[in-house]
Amino acid sequence: MRTYFNDLPKTALGASYWIFAVYLVLPLALMMAMSFKDANFIAFPIGNWTLSWYGKVIQDKQFLEASLYSIGIALATTISATIIGVWIALLVSAENIWGKAVIFALACLPAVVPGLINAISMRIFIRAVDIPTGTFAIILAHTVHAVPFVVIMVLTRLRSMPANLVDAARDLGADPFIAFLRVTIPYLMPALFGGMIFCVLTSIDDFVRTFFLGGYQPTLPMLIFAKVQGGMSPEINAMATIVLVVTTAVGLYAEHFTRRSRS
Amino acid sequence: MLDTTTQPPSVGLSTVPRYAGWIGRAARSGLYRHTIGLLVESRRVRLAVLAGVPLVWIAMLHIGPILQMANISLLANYPPQPDKSSEYTLANYALFFSDRLYFLPFVRSLIFAAVVTISTLVIVYPVAYYVAKIVQPKNRMRALLLLLIPFWAGELIRTFSVIMLLANRGALNVLLREFGFIDRPIPMLYTFFSLSFGVIYLLALYMLLPLYSAIEKIPTPLIQAAADLGAGPFQRFRRVILPLSKDGIVSGCSLVYLTAVGVFAAPLLLGGPNSVIFPEVIATLFHGSNDKWPEGAAFSMIMLVVSLTTVGLFMRVVGGRSVRLM
Repeated sequence: MRTYFNDLPKTALGASYWIFAVYLVLPLALMMAMSFKDANFIAFPIGNWTLSWYGKVIQDKQFLEASLYSIGIALATTISATIIGVWIALLVSAENIWGKAVIFALACLPAVVPGLINAISMRIFIRAVDIPTGTFAIILAHTVHAVPFVVIMVLTRLRSMPANLVDAARDLGADPFIAFLRVTIPYLMPALFGGMIFCVLTSIDDFVRTFFLGGYQPTLPMLIFAKVQGGMSPEINAMATIVLVVTTAVGLYAEHFTRRSRS
Repeated sequence: MLDTTTQPPSVGLSTVPRYAGWIGRAARSGLYRHTIGLLVESRRVRLAVLAGVPLVWIAMLHIGPILQMANISLLANYPPQPDKSSEYTLANYALFFSDRLYFLPFVRSLIFAAVVTISTLVIVYPVAYYVAKIVQPKNRMRALLLLLIPFWAGELIRTFSVIMLLANRGALNVLLREFGFIDRPIPMLYTFFSLSFGVIYLLALYMLLPLYSAIEKIPTPLIQAAADLGAGPFQRFRRVILPLSKDGIVSGCSLVYLTAVGVFAAPLLLGGPNSVIFPEVIATLFHGSNDKWPEGAAFSMIMLVVSLTTVGLFMRVVGGRSVRLM
């Protein structure tokens, strides 16, 4: 009797975990299944199965262009956010800087401002400084959004770095820049890698900033959004499934890499 | 960080010739040596190099847009037009409080975000506890990974996948009809239910990770000691586990709340005419044919200030000692 009562919470907790996992996976599984439906509309049950939607998506020029456009924006965002994020982290971690806490708080500001407000304030800002909506504006907004996360990840890593590593390099004759390049950067690599993957995934995923700042060329989320709003067909499911598989592969690879480098 | 006041600058360059190719040539060049010499000699130059770009970036792009938004929210007209006044006024803020069309969605948005936050906390807490404390350590990463994978799918795709489940001819309705529970489909999509379902689906991760890391840090012997001293499961939870996971609860709730307040794509796809929340109202002011930027900016300011104060008060009241974002 006693063991039964002791096990009850454990069983309930296990059940909650599995119900939650099913809740997370089920909608996506349904979405993937629907991409094989042999009909022009989205509805269950699926009935006849086909691969033709994938053929259609792969030949879809719009999809290809939007994918390449999104990837290009993501890469540009990643490079700029990493450089600026590392720079801010170095400033915050440096000793004897007045107002470090304030600088850090302001560096994290875009992470706590709700996404919509972030997008709107950037829209107002680029109009004030005469930047047209379009590719550059999107990259700028994505970078602003990604910088706080890079700063936090790099700072966490920097704090665990033995202070005398750089001193040792300097004693052995490296100038500050070489010491930074050959000691600090390699030590930061795991955090940099994590931060870069984060930048790529959030940039490719972003909808609200692109919605307000984008020009006429659609990014991948904009394309999917437009297709969902204007008449649904399993083609969207095939498209979404391809994107899902690719981003999950990137995520899993990143996870594998960070775990290996940690151990 | 670079305390080398005792070293002459020339010492620092002895390793440079090891580099071949253009890097080596650049590193041996007079310009590079001159620059590095300046960097090593003067603390002021070092500080300028370290602080210049970050401070300009933060001032221009982290603070600048919000200041400009605040500025425009006080203008009578924007962009300035020759025949209309461009004076400072509070009319845009007054409009918000006088018109129910704006005020109601705002209140709805705040309540919606609060409900979503509390539901997410209740749903995710046992899951986080299970992964952090009951799963064997060697399987823990795998158990967590299973929950993380769906989140790599991205906001829009996950929102879209909720439609597959809840639509009139979606999986749930078809299944219910198959088993004879209902005759005609329950209209679940385009209601508050579908919107909350979707937003919880989108944001559960932001609750899961802080909770997991907070609960994982609770020493298991502490919980066992409470059990040995006669505390039942409920008392153990109430007196030991809950207070010790407070930091995780505070940061998880703050993250989910701030994101839920500004959620944008989900209401467009999952919400209906009866579930219009504030972000949609703001967006129409910027995107409609009528260009009403000052009003939109004022409403955005209200939303920003109110949501940040709510979270600030919440942190104060619940009092996580060391609240961190991640």
